Amino acid sequence: MKFDYLKDLLGNRFLEEKIDRLQYAYDATQKMYMPDCVVLPKNTEEVSKIVKFANENKIPVVARGCASGFSGGALNIDGGIALSMELMNNIIEIDLDNLIATVEPGVVNYDLQVKLKPFGLFFPPDPSSWKFSSIGGNIAENAGGPKAVKYGVVKDWVLGLEVVLADGSIINVGSKNVKDVAGYNLTQLFVGSEGTLGIITKALLKLHPIAQGSQTLQATFYDMSLAAKTVSDIIKNKIIPSSLEFVDHQAILTVEDALKANLPTDADAILIIEVEGSKFQIKEDVEKIVQICTENGAKVKIAHSIEEEESIWLARRSISPTLKRIADGKLNEDIVVPRSKIAEMIKKTQEIAKKYNVLIVNFGHAGDGNIHTNIMYNTKDKDEEKRAYQAMDEVFDECLKLGGSISGEHGIGITKQDYLERQVGSRTIQLYKQIKYAFDPNNILNPHKMKL
Amino acid sequence: MDERLKKEWESCVKCGLCRSVCPVFKELRQEPFVARGHISLLSEFIKGNFDFDSEKSKDYLYKCLLCTTCVEACPNDSGTDTIVEIARRRIVELHGLPLYKKVMAKILLNRNLMDLSALSANLLSVFLFNKNTNTSRQSNSLKIKLPFVDKDRLLPPLAPKTFYHKYESYGKNAKISIFPGCLINYTYVKIGDAFINILHKLNISYLIEKRASCCGAPIYFSGNFDDAKILAKRNIDLFYNQDIDYLVVLEPTCASMMKFDYPKLFMYFDDEEYIKKATEFAEKIIDPVKYLYDNTDIKDRLKDTGLTVTYHDPCHLKRTQKVKNEPRDLIKHAAKFKEMKEADRCCGNGGTFSIDYRDLSLKIASRKIDNILNSKAQVLVTGCSACIMQLSEALHIAGHDEIKTLHTLELIDKSLGG
Repeated sequence: MKFDYLKDLLGNRFLEEKIDRLQYAYDATQKMYMPDCVVLPKNTEEVSKIVKFANENKIPVVARGCASGFSGGALNIDGGIALSMELMNNIIEIDLDNLIATVEPGVVNYDLQVKLKPFGLFFPPDPSSWKFSSIGGNIAENAGGPKAVKYGVVKDWVLGLEVVLADGSIINVGSKNVKDVAGYNLTQLFVGSEGTLGIITKALLKLHPIAQGSQTLQATFYDMSLAAKTVSDIIKNKIIPSSLEFVDHQAILTVEDALKANLPTDADAILIIEVEGSKFQIKEDVEKIVQICTENGAKVKIAHSIEEEESIWLARRSISPTLKRIADGKLNEDIVVPRSKIAEMIKKTQEIAKKYNVLIVNFGHAGDGNIHTNIMYNTKDKDEEKRAYQAMDEVFDECLKLGGSISGEHGIGITKQDYLERQVGSRTIQLYKQIKYAFDPNNILNPHKMKL
Repeated sequence: MDERLKKEWESCVKCGLCRSVCPVFKELRQEPFVARGHISLLSEFIKGNFDFDSEKSKDYLYKCLLCTTCVEACPNDSGTDTIVEIARRRIVELHGLPLYKKVMAKILLNRNLMDLSALSANLLSVFLFNKNTNTSRQSNSLKIKLPFVDKDRLLPPLAPKTFYHKYESYGKNAKISIFPGCLINYTYVKIGDAFINILHKLNISYLIEKRASCCGAPIYFSGNFDDAKILAKRNIDLFYNQDIDYLVVLEPTCASMMKFDYPKLFMYFDDEEYIKKATEFAEKIIDPVKYLYDNTDIKDRLKDTGLTVTYHDPCHLKRTQKVKNEPRDLIKHAAKFKEMKEADRCCGNGGTFSIDYRDLSLKIASRKIDNILNSKAQVLVTGCSACIMQLSEALHIAGHDEIKTLHTLELIDKSLGG
């Protein structure tokens, strides 16, 4: 039989019954593509053997962590092998001398944070899915999160990787050295490569000391453009908050409906701002931010306890999953523009929403210009679905005109691949293909994603 | 099937958040053991794209505690407990029930048969059980191997006299009726004793309706909807027209079953008459601690017992019935209260789950032990006898017999002077 080799290699960690394939057929895009089998390796050697076998037999291999991605990176769109990293979830080392963690790809982001906390350390990238997304997935998609405004994204925190290449060979790229210029910077090529160039089996992550303290503020605006102006004003005043998030009116209504968190439902927008540092620094920053917000007509609430802080953040993190309350279909985009262009971009989305008569919900990371533009539609209404796609097309155009990017942190996968060329150009796509061929001549690794 | 039931799974957006809260997933770490996996299987089954014919169906769908931790955390209110129950019904149709669950259904359907089984088990107990020298455990280990039950498992002794045999309705113009639940009726009668004592001290009249049937939870949770429906109808018919303000259901799982699952059970069968009746009936069902808290001056009467107490939230009390603060407030008046970390983390009992998957069940229970110890409490209080059974065993295994377990009602009774 086709997969006898894998069966012998993995025993009951090789799955091919429909009941199993079905549960490894989806991700948070809610699309379904059945793999032909599922494998659950426990170590790099097994991954190597699986990939070598797949390459020799020209069978697609799609790595998946927690399947919480929004761009379809974990979907077996051409069938083949679903390579689940669920069982490769060991934190191998926390090197306190060098402030580096060595982890397997299946480790959940939050589980790592919990392990690091007693040492006064953390891994800064914190996607909203941090409690249920894996480090491997975070690296493959080059994930961001609310803290990106201050700390950057995953690429800024990966020092090295162990990777299984398409022919099954195992390589190590990067190292524990902060400075390392030997050869091409392949580490950064693998970060964000969405499983198309190799399978990440180990990662060396830079860690950062936890700030002495932090404080969260919630500013309520009755005019969206003033909220956007506030974001620019804060940055202009040389304050870099550790998070600077915004939530628009429709998102406020949706979360309030789900959580009953006593949110201001009459507001046009909320900014959630977190500053951190020494007591003195926090006090100074908070005072300035309160002043800027107030000047822009906002009501400011300062969280005085962990509970208050958590409830503010819970509301923010709950938006994405609760959108289904509005409509069963959504085009979940994560465009990014230079932060000075935020107000303009949001205004554009509102004009586009009006033009195509669809509902657009905006929220996201205002501090780094990353806006989650969710175009909502009823899947049973084919005309509305068409209008939603037209609106999305125009949102991308406007975003690119402002010098933005079609994806800030979700990745391209299948959901955005038709728009990629518009941003990067045909010569660059051609180069992608040449790079892909050099790494994976048989195109077995996550084929037909990112236009590859 | 009633359209309203479908939102339980159609609301899932496959975000994966349930992976961060499920106690079973925390141990097994694979998609087939988490809500999103269960939901996907059921929704594909409903669409006609999949059936539960694989032998693995049982392993995947029965390894769920129905603790509803995922339901509480789900931003879209997907009802995984209901989803798992409906999937199990299909599994029963295809694969049948294990023998012991068939026997259990037969017994639970018939109160006389239940009494007889309990009586014979009690008479035989001298031969069956080793006398446990530690009376604080109030449980015995088996002398011989019984089918379905591990030999070293600590089991609470059956009471010589059941709750229903011990008590009659009391007082005039009673506005509450007491439903003890099988576990309290047959084994933890002392918890029932505590509630009766409290009511007498407060001079509250009560009814005890001895024709009541088992609530059907263990049967329904196994996926045996047909027998569960018989019991649900019997109970609704019995209590529906009674002139009472409350049906006080001592076991949170029974209360949860009658209050929230009865309406869904009838939705499954599209039984309009009983959906309506069950929904109205649900209004009257209340937990005893919440009843005392809301309707009496119990709080003012409590005296400090001098004990240091921590509290475990039973899933079917905190998550489904939303009773969380009432027991804590009462405990604070009766003892020195120490909140433990993750007090609402499931104890891992899950009814027949603890029989079918004992090792996994105890592993989940053991995760609570450190939190209990770190609270530095002498007594672990909780509001559910199944949790008491589970946690006292887990404490025993961990070598911490010095920590006693009490039901909230027992602590209240003590605090009122015993």
